[in-house]
Amino acid sequence: MHTKKLTWPNSAWAILYKDLLCEFRTRYALGTLTMFTLVTLSGISMTLAGAAISSSIAAMLLWIILFFCAMAGLARTFVYEQEAGTLFTLRLYANGQAVLAGKLLFNILLLQLVTALLIPLFLIFLNIEVHLWGQLVYVLFFGTVGVAAVATLTAFMVSCTNAKGSLFTVITFPLLLPQFLTAIAATEQILTDMIPSWNECFFLAGYDATVIAAASLLFDYLWYD
Amino acid sequence: MEHSVTVELVDVTKYYENKCLFRNISKKLLPGECLTVTGPNGSGKSTLLKIISGLVKTSSGKINLRCNANRLISPCERAKYIGFVSPELVFYKSLTGYENIDFIAKASGMAALPEFIMASLQRVGLSGQAHEPVINYSTGMRQRLKFALLLVLNPPLWLLDEPSSNLDTAGKKLVADLIHKALTRSTSIILATNEAEEANYAHQKINLA
Repeated sequence: MHTKKLTWPNSAWAILYKDLLCEFRTRYALGTLTMFTLVTLSGISMTLAGAAISSSIAAMLLWIILFFCAMAGLARTFVYEQEAGTLFTLRLYANGQAVLAGKLLFNILLLQLVTALLIPLFLIFLNIEVHLWGQLVYVLFFGTVGVAAVATLTAFMVSCTNAKGSLFTVITFPLLLPQFLTAIAATEQILTDMIPSWNECFFLAGYDATVIAAASLLFDYLWYD
Repeated sequence: MEHSVTVELVDVTKYYENKCLFRNISKKLLPGECLTVTGPNGSGKSTLLKIISGLVKTSSGKINLRCNANRLISPCERAKYIGFVSPELVFYKSLTGYENIDFIAKASGMAALPEFIMASLQRVGLSGQAHEPVINYSTGMRQRLKFALLLVLNPPLWLLDEPSSNLDTAGKKLVADLIHKALTRSTSIILATNEAEEANYAHQKINLA
């Protein structure tokens, strides 16, 4: 036997590995996201000129940067495949669930990496002290997983249209609004040294699980139709 | 290859922006047979192949793919049974030829042994360029790479859209040899072409003129 059968999680892993390898060689998405983060953060920092800002404004700014970072880079997962012509190859040969899982994991990793770069710079530039690190990591992790999950699904939807760039943000924002507002509220409490409520923490994780389950159910219709 | 595929086209009609590309095409292709699709540019040859692959919908009519002349293959299973050589099949330019084949095989649900991939690349004359990025390949080399992929996946149904395009004389001979051998192994082949030599493989023909 020259070949052996693989299950779809193995195929998903192959898709993730391929995306990481392509990204490592081209550094297209990571470069875009990093530059967007640095430019936005520098702009905010220079505008504030060392002035103190409230926790609510800081939390809002943090999530706005993360949201637009995601909008700038995460659509690439499918739009780039469409523009390069490789989406035809992928649709021809790959299992829909494997594609969704592989692309979702790639987007989650990418956004987590950018978040890990953003947070120290954000705290230094805006002169913010954090004491509840565990809670902050929790909110950032589950918040960005939700952003990545919605962005992965909408990225594939808009890759099949002509107005890719504008549609992506317009479709993604309303879907993310509940997660976005909860993440901002939880972050605001953390920055004022208050532990976020269980409701908020549960909502963030529950929203992620719901979006991933819904994406999994919907994706086959989009992929095979 | 463990299975054979029978292809049934039942009254297949396709309109594109109110223009009728083809109407009421009905054919049945058995394992080991070759169906050629001919016609001028824009007549819908590539579209018909994409419809059979499941990538494009018919306007009316249906395509039935049957495994071992019996079980109907569902749309989400089609990838395992179909190999498509098409000008629209594009490889990842930053990956090497070897990596592309390895990835596509894994994405389609099979892991191929490295020596098998290398043997397939050698068969199409690309063993020396196996570890070069595809961006450095000429169009003819990319066409050969599509056949190396086909050899690794070894599907029971081959859809070949202008398979000899961009190939030199040796490449065309290679394609002829691969088609001939595939037919003896009960592979079903649907071939869209305007080359008279390729049209000679036909057991059945569709002319979209």
